[in-house]
Amino acid sequence: MTRNSDSVLSRRKFLIASGATGLAGLAGCTENNTGDSGGDSGGDSGGDSEGTDSSGDGSNELSGTIDIAGSSTVFPLATAMGERFQSEHSEVNINLQSTGSGGGFANYFCTGQTDFNNASRPIQPDEEEQCASNDVTPVELKVATDALTVVVNNDNEFIGEGLTTEQLQTIFSAESAPTTWADVNSEWPDEEIEIYGPTDASGTYDYFIEAIIGEEGPGHRQDYSATEQDRTIIQGVQGSEYAIGYLGFAYYSESTDSVQAVPIENDAGEFVEPSLDTALSGEYNPLSRPLFTYPARESLAEDHVAEFARYWMENSTSREIVADEVGYVPLGEDEQQEMLDTLNAAIEEAN
Amino acid sequence: MATDTDSGYIDGFGQVSRTTGTIFRYLLLAATMFGIVTLAVLLVYVANDAIRPLTADLGWHLTFFLTLVVPTAVVGGYLARRNVPALKLGGMVVGMLAVSLLFSGGVAIVFVDIIPPLTGLSYVVGLLVPAALVVVLTKYEQQIPFTLRVAATGAAFVLSLVGVPGYFHSIPEIVRQLPVVPADWMILTLVLGGVAAVVVGQYVARIREDTTAGLAAGASALLLTGLAAVVGPALGVDANAAAVVTSVAFVPTVAYAGGAAVTRERERIGLLLAAVVIGGSLVGAAAVDALGFAGPQSWVDWQFLTSAHSGSAENAGLYPAIGGSILLMATVAALSFPLGVGAAVYLEEYAPDNAFTRFIDVNISNLAGVPSVVYGLLGLGVFVTYLGQPTGTVIIGGATLALLILPIVIISSREAIRSVPSDMRQASYGMGATRWQTVKNVVLPEAFPGILTGTILALGRAIGETAPLIMIGAPNVLFTLPTELTSKVSAMPLQVYAWSSLFASEDFYTKAVPAGVVVLLAVLLAMNSIAIVLRNKFESGN
Repeated sequence: MTRNSDSVLSRRKFLIASGATGLAGLAGCTENNTGDSGGDSGGDSGGDSEGTDSSGDGSNELSGTIDIAGSSTVFPLATAMGERFQSEHSEVNINLQSTGSGGGFANYFCTGQTDFNNASRPIQPDEEEQCASNDVTPVELKVATDALTVVVNNDNEFIGEGLTTEQLQTIFSAESAPTTWADVNSEWPDEEIEIYGPTDASGTYDYFIEAIIGEEGPGHRQDYSATEQDRTIIQGVQGSEYAIGYLGFAYYSESTDSVQAVPIENDAGEFVEPSLDTALSGEYNPLSRPLFTYPARESLAEDHVAEFARYWMENSTSREIVADEVGYVPLGEDEQQEMLDTLNAAIEEAN
Repeated sequence: MATDTDSGYIDGFGQVSRTTGTIFRYLLLAATMFGIVTLAVLLVYVANDAIRPLTADLGWHLTFFLTLVVPTAVVGGYLARRNVPALKLGGMVVGMLAVSLLFSGGVAIVFVDIIPPLTGLSYVVGLLVPAALVVVLTKYEQQIPFTLRVAATGAAFVLSLVGVPGYFHSIPEIVRQLPVVPADWMILTLVLGGVAAVVVGQYVARIREDTTAGLAAGASALLLTGLAAVVGPALGVDANAAAVVTSVAFVPTVAYAGGAAVTRERERIGLLLAAVVIGGSLVGAAAVDALGFAGPQSWVDWQFLTSAHSGSAENAGLYPAIGGSILLMATVAALSFPLGVGAAVYLEEYAPDNAFTRFIDVNISNLAGVPSVVYGLLGLGVFVTYLGQPTGTVIIGGATLALLILPIVIISSREAIRSVPSDMRQASYGMGATRWQTVKNVVLPEAFPGILTGTILALGRAIGETAPLIMIGAPNVLFTLPTELTSKVSAMPLQVYAWSSLFASEDFYTKAVPAGVVVLLAVLLAMNSIAIVLRNKFESGN
């Protein structure tokens, strides 16, 4: 305690010295408040996160939020596009959610929560009605072509050269609902069929009904393992020799070692295995299908949303993104031009 | 053993045998170990996938073995045999540095990327001005009537933070519109360094029982933070980052270690352990760098922690999810802490014991066990469908998670309040204190560490929840940090879930998912370690 008075003095000097240094530093290191340092964008603007940037030039300084929901099939493609767009426009926030085409339309898009809805089938009339009642106008843009893929276990040999559409219909229709493979074809083993597929919120499900089972028919059987996670379908089929399932080509292309794709008989009577080439050439039918995204025309009035839609369409012919990274068939030049025209018309109408 | 009978068999008691007892004992041990071992194997497996220690050069392992493991083992072994309290002190300092470094990362995300420093400063000033007024008002407590004081306090905060539209701006707005403002690193030094300085100053003043020493310690803490921000850029560290890390991690650790060195003479040798660990890590890092040994190609690297999701697993990162989790936790804490503690105080201190309160009791216990997906549905129903809020925002997610942990906060706070000896309450009443004064001055300060522990553990549960966030429609993929309460939010467990389910490739399963799990667990363990330290302090205090 005796050395206290000494140390107080020296500390006081020290404090004064450091205070003076601090002041000098303060004077030297201030900066002019230009206002665009981002200072007031974060704190209290609160409510509307959709606002575009206030600066009028609008060329590079895009900002705002883009909410995307919908098909799990289109999800990886939308993510790939979003990732690239976001890296070029760091002020744009892109949120992506995989809800299934129908789930996205009903719960998010048509209620005005999202700007885009991805779909692996065209929008249905009742969904259009729901959107219209909330003043949401969907603009249909085709983004790629998918080969809906039927998969079976790697050990499955009895399936032979492939399945006919009639056999597929028998397996998946609610009417026949066979319990064993022998019920489909008497030469096949008398083992129970384990069926995996997407849920009825999925566009893949809807498309399968349209292409195989028929809209007017008995409908899709419901005693199967339904999931919106395509990985679960792959895992389920991988786990049982007598399982069958169907899903989008992109997920299958990620796991070609785990399961085998079934060649499907096309309208020319040939068994064709799903691939980007066969889907593009049209040989793989009837299960190759268009994929869509639906921007809301009201959202296209905002620059950042319109710019993202344009970006997506401009890159929809990119083999690198659409085919190599995600695993779908890119659009052709003509299709792309057509979609760009549709989009530009919609943007003009929105503004 | 009263075995008077010849047969060794007693009616109704059964055979007396040592073997049965031994078997039973080891069965119990097996039951104890089963869960722990299973989980440990799983975690080691995941950590191996994420960190991949075997991809490092042998020289790398050897270098760190020599510079870090051997010295630590020698010092630690010596302390363990001679001076266990010193070992604990050393471990505490190392742990404190590790945990506070982790938290400084979180603080940096919040105060640099989410809230721009100038905005943060403007709100700090906006809060400090009325707070100063309140301090003045409290001084003249006796002269001013209670209602007037409350009204003045409320008005001061409202005027300062909101202003009067059309007449004068709020203080945060005025600060933001100043023509000349300090650079970002100065603001961080001032605000975060200031907080650290106050804490350190108080700590030093308390252990030295000397106000001047406290002031000096506080001033040097502030100076150290500023110095780090100035010197940082010269060493290739961003000035803002240097200021944050120094004020949140280094200053408190140094203060704690310094305080221990001065006051705990018998244990100060333990600081050697901390010095060996830190020095060994630094020397090892410098050595492998100089010798050119490659470290493990861990998936948990700087790139993973600071970038957003990507289509390829190698480039995918957790940054927006980490920021989202932090914001969610802040919202959850702000909502559940006052509500939970308030309810606990009422139920323990005020509520009469009647059928109604017993009914509430039973229901709170039941609510604590309700599955999280049900709370998610509740959040979706109440906030999104009924109140018409947009889906998946920070505030909705935070409110839903706050509801989820509210019963746990209430129950643990009640336990803490109940453990305050009733003698203390009686003594307070005996001195003429009112019930409010007793709660404020005796019960809450005494129960506070326990309440805090319970709340942190509950937050630990909330940070790992996925189901409620899926239910309220939080996005699966997000490329930027949420910056407002109304931005869409992702969270660490949700991102891991999205990777494991929506990105079906083997790549994501073996790279991004384990890395995400490791980061999530590290954050969870850091939070729990704080809770455990607090609890130990609390228990030893009594």
